Amino acid sequence: MKKVLLVDDDVDFCEATKLLLDSKGYEVILAYDGKEGLGKVRAEKPDLVILDVMMPEMSGYDVCVVLKADPELKNIPVILLTAVDQALFKTTYTKAMGLMTEADDYIAKPVEPEELVRRVEDLLSKT
Amino acid sequence: MLIKPSIDILVVENDITILQRCRELLIDEGHRVRTAECIEEALDIIQKHPGDVDIMLLSLELPGWGGMTLIETLQKARREILIMTMSDNCGEEAIEAMHAGAYDCIRKSFTTDRFWIKMNRAIEAFRLRHQLDILTRQRQAALTKVRRDENLLAILQSLTDGFVVTDWQTNIVLFNEKAAGLFDLTEEKALGHPISVSIKSDELLSFFMRAIKSDSGLGPLMVGEEPVVKVGEKALRVHVYPVKNETGTVIGAAGLFHDVTTVSAMDKLKSDFLSMVSHELKSPLSSLLMQISVVLDGLAGDLTAKQSDLLAKAKEKTKGMITLVNDILDYRRIQEGKSIQKIESLDVAEILKRTIELMHLSAEEKGLSLTCEIAEELPSFSGDRGGMEAIFVNLISNAIKYTPKGGNVNVTLNKAGKDIGFKVVDTGIGILPEDIDRIFEKFYRIKTEQTRSISGSGLGLSIVKGIVDAHNSAIHVESEVGKGTTFVVSLPAESG
Repeated sequence: MKKVLLVDDDVDFCEATKLLLDSKGYEVILAYDGKEGLGKVRAEKPDLVILDVMMPEMSGYDVCVVLKADPELKNIPVILLTAVDQALFKTTYTKAMGLMTEADDYIAKPVEPEELVRRVEDLLSKT
Repeated sequence: MLIKPSIDILVVENDITILQRCRELLIDEGHRVRTAECIEEALDIIQKHPGDVDIMLLSLELPGWGGMTLIETLQKARREILIMTMSDNCGEEAIEAMHAGAYDCIRKSFTTDRFWIKMNRAIEAFRLRHQLDILTRQRQAALTKVRRDENLLAILQSLTDGFVVTDWQTNIVLFNEKAAGLFDLTEEKALGHPISVSIKSDELLSFFMRAIKSDSGLGPLMVGEEPVVKVGEKALRVHVYPVKNETGTVIGAAGLFHDVTTVSAMDKLKSDFLSMVSHELKSPLSSLLMQISVVLDGLAGDLTAKQSDLLAKAKEKTKGMITLVNDILDYRRIQEGKSIQKIESLDVAEILKRTIELMHLSAEEKGLSLTCEIAEELPSFSGDRGGMEAIFVNLISNAIKYTPKGGNVNVTLNKAGKDIGFKVVDTGIGILPEDIDRIFEKFYRIKTEQTRSISGSGLGLSIVKGIVDAHNSAIHVESEVGKGTTFVVSLPAESG
């Protein structure tokens, strides 16, 4: 069973998304801020990480930078998730991308459940 | 009187033979001639009879000669005098004199023919210069007259907007107190000087140039085209238009400056607020959509038919709200002129194919047939990718929304003359003629029995219109109630 770590400070979103991914046969682990998320990546070694960008303590970008700089963790695919204005997101995303090893995908919130599942499946089938 | 029939010529030469020969030749042709044998005498004549010397025929071989200084002095003080030099060989010093402002040089060993070839050219040049001077003075007089009209001045001073008038060489001829305050103008520093000296804004200067050059095709600002220009700390809404005389000749430009500094700041605040609110709305809506979806899919326990039905409706409403929030963001971007992110060469056919793929699902769900024909060999087109996607998505999803079950939506992309024509034809409910003019207005939605159940923000078509306008494209609608609607967008192909 593939392990997916979802990091998002919105508890409601986490719960509902866990139900969705559970039903698709994934083992879902949750974390509610960036620091906790980073700790769980190290402890649990998930097959995929979904990272919300705007979080207290440590932003999704920052977590991604740390992950991609770590030789042991950098192969874990990362999906960035954000509710920030899409056009704005694309530009800041590209800018941030210049500074860090690329996140593997990004999804703008709100996301259709089917779309999220499809993206997760796509990335996992590549690894 | 523009053409001066005879010319006043001052010959300065110490060789009496040459002096006499010049004098005779010129008098024979009806010109008035004065003579001087040295520089002092020449200066004396110029001072005593100002305006009575049109052309000076000046020897470059005068004793005690400081000729170059004389040419330079005259160029500064009496520019209207045209200087012809005479010399033995027209060598280095003749060239130097021309650099200093002399018109040409005549060899002293001239034949009559040679003399007249050079002289006639000089006379012609003087006449042209003279005509230009007169025209200049006429144009300036027309504008400076305004400055003497006290009633008019009083009216201008009472304007709450800044007002600046220039002549056709962009020299400031008039400004009101408000403008003085906006640009820090004073009579001594600004009046009679080019506007670029007082107002440091290339953009503003270019508007004045456009207004002045409106005769020659550059075109002034359009009616309704009132750009906001930043000058220092201030944001000014600017309107500059040509000032014409009775015969329609442009004699200057007038600029009106409306201080919108506070309004701009408010606009920015409003826009930031909208962004923030939209973001704050999107987060909970994301959760809501996910929660409803998983419950609806039975992931949180089995549902009764009634529960499913209610939740399905709740999900639709949630999606509607998400579209609304996205539309508000899109609309704000267009209003801020950011609808075009990046102009690049686009494969419009490819973008349309992908859009159709996305739309197929919703067409199927509704029981509609969605067909698409894309012509091969389309002209090349440059535009904003996101903008094109938004046009396609909005027009096609509208067609799907407003076409009842069993209907058809046909999308075509082909060459239309020089342009690319994008057409969406549906067999939907149609639009009443009185509504057609208003569908591009923001938040305008047609309310009828049939449309009640259709959710939408009323922003989609105004977004489309904004993008179409930003691409210098056109959109056209034809509709018949009960039969269907056709939207056509013509995208201008790249020239050349």
